[in-house]
Amino acid sequence: MIGAAFSVTLASAQGGDEIAFACLFRDVQPALLRYLHVITPDAEDVAGDTWLQVVKSLPGFRGGEDAFRAWLFTIARHRAVDASRSRSRRPDVPLAVTEAPEQPAGLDTADLALEAISTRWVMDVIKTLPREHAEIIMLRVVAGLEATDVARIVGKTPGAVRVTAHRALRRLAEVAERAGVTH
Amino acid sequence: MQGEMPGFPFPGRPGGEHDEPLLDMIIARRALPPDAPQPMHDLARMLAALAGPAGPGELTGEAAVRAAFRQAVAPAGISPAARRPGRRRRPQRPARSRARLATALVAAVVGLGSVLAAYTDVLPSPIQQLAHVTVAAPAPPRSAQPATSAPRHAKAHQVHATSGPPARGPLHSAGPAPVPGRSSSAQAHYRPPASPSGHRPAEPACGPAPWRSTGPPDHHVAPSGSQGEHCTGIPTGPASLPTLNPYVPDRP
Repeated sequence: MIGAAFSVTLASAQGGDEIAFACLFRDVQPALLRYLHVITPDAEDVAGDTWLQVVKSLPGFRGGEDAFRAWLFTIARHRAVDASRSRSRRPDVPLAVTEAPEQPAGLDTADLALEAISTRWVMDVIKTLPREHAEIIMLRVVAGLEATDVARIVGKTPGAVRVTAHRALRRLAEVAERAGVTH
Repeated sequence: MQGEMPGFPFPGRPGGEHDEPLLDMIIARRALPPDAPQPMHDLARMLAALAGPAGPGELTGEAAVRAAFRQAVAPAGISPAARRPGRRRRPQRPARSRARLATALVAAVVGLGSVLAAYTDVLPSPIQQLAHVTVAAPAPPRSAQPATSAPRHAKAHQVHATSGPPARGPLHSAGPAPVPGRSSSAQAHYRPPASPSGHRPAEPACGPAPWRSTGPPDHHVAPSGSQGEHCTGIPTGPASLPTLNPYVPDRP
């Protein structure tokens, strides 16, 4: 998060300052890419399309940092849905899995012990959650969005988002315990 | 909540919603209290790693995005196609609509050109006469008649009377029978030519006027045997005056 300097950075980027825009990109891109890795197999392509849309619409954006991130992740989700629809028209590509096994596929206890708390491993664990749970966790924890913003993005009530997030975290803790991620 | 995951083996989770404050703290990335259960700390560490700084390869798209940004903020002069890759273009007009539009344009140009040509009096005499009748264009000039028509051969008059172009015929001959579609103002603008002797020349009035032969019979028919007979009421000389044509001033 950029914090107090966000408004100045945004204004500079809207005025055409490439360095300021790069600051926005570097601040959001890691979370964006991780979120997209969880919800779509075309994460890089969708991220590129998302930023192109951001570049196009940036001059008209108004709001603070939270609103900016909510706006950007909303665009990303729409692009991911578009990519999913495009993919679904190709019969040789499997559709997204809604229910996954509780253990990350291909990971045994030794691997888990080695990779322990790496970002990649955590993402693999989150991918084992139901799609809706994983997405809400990524939006709430990784993107740092408020429950109301997440609710608007995924089409649920803020209460439902909160319950789903708690349920997903409990499941994550269970997986972590099984994997031996402890002190 | 407990019923949804009855077999949940979460250590330190005495029951249902008791862990929710801790979960909310994890989501908000706040530090957990030291006495929080160890699995909660482990979960917090996992999510902290998930929200960590950019890893290798996560910023590889920066160059392309910055290039797109540069092109987007570049001043005009850059090709619009190159400014935004993948940019949606305005849907083109369907080919069917383009064909209709082209047809309408061609028709409009041809019509307007014809009207202009009629008003500039450059059309062939029959067409000019038609324009004279329909759009009040100037009547065809008398000079358009062939010079050989001066000798009044009966045969030539017959031909003119049946197929030749009109020459102010209605105004001369058919006052009571106006031509449909022609305005009275057009008739009022007509100025019959006068001969040096003060009489209207018979020859121009007897010029080609195909619609004379198809028009209603005129009550100004000249005496039989005269040239005016073929001109269907066109006065041919002083003897035919006065005329009943209201647009032709009678001369004493």
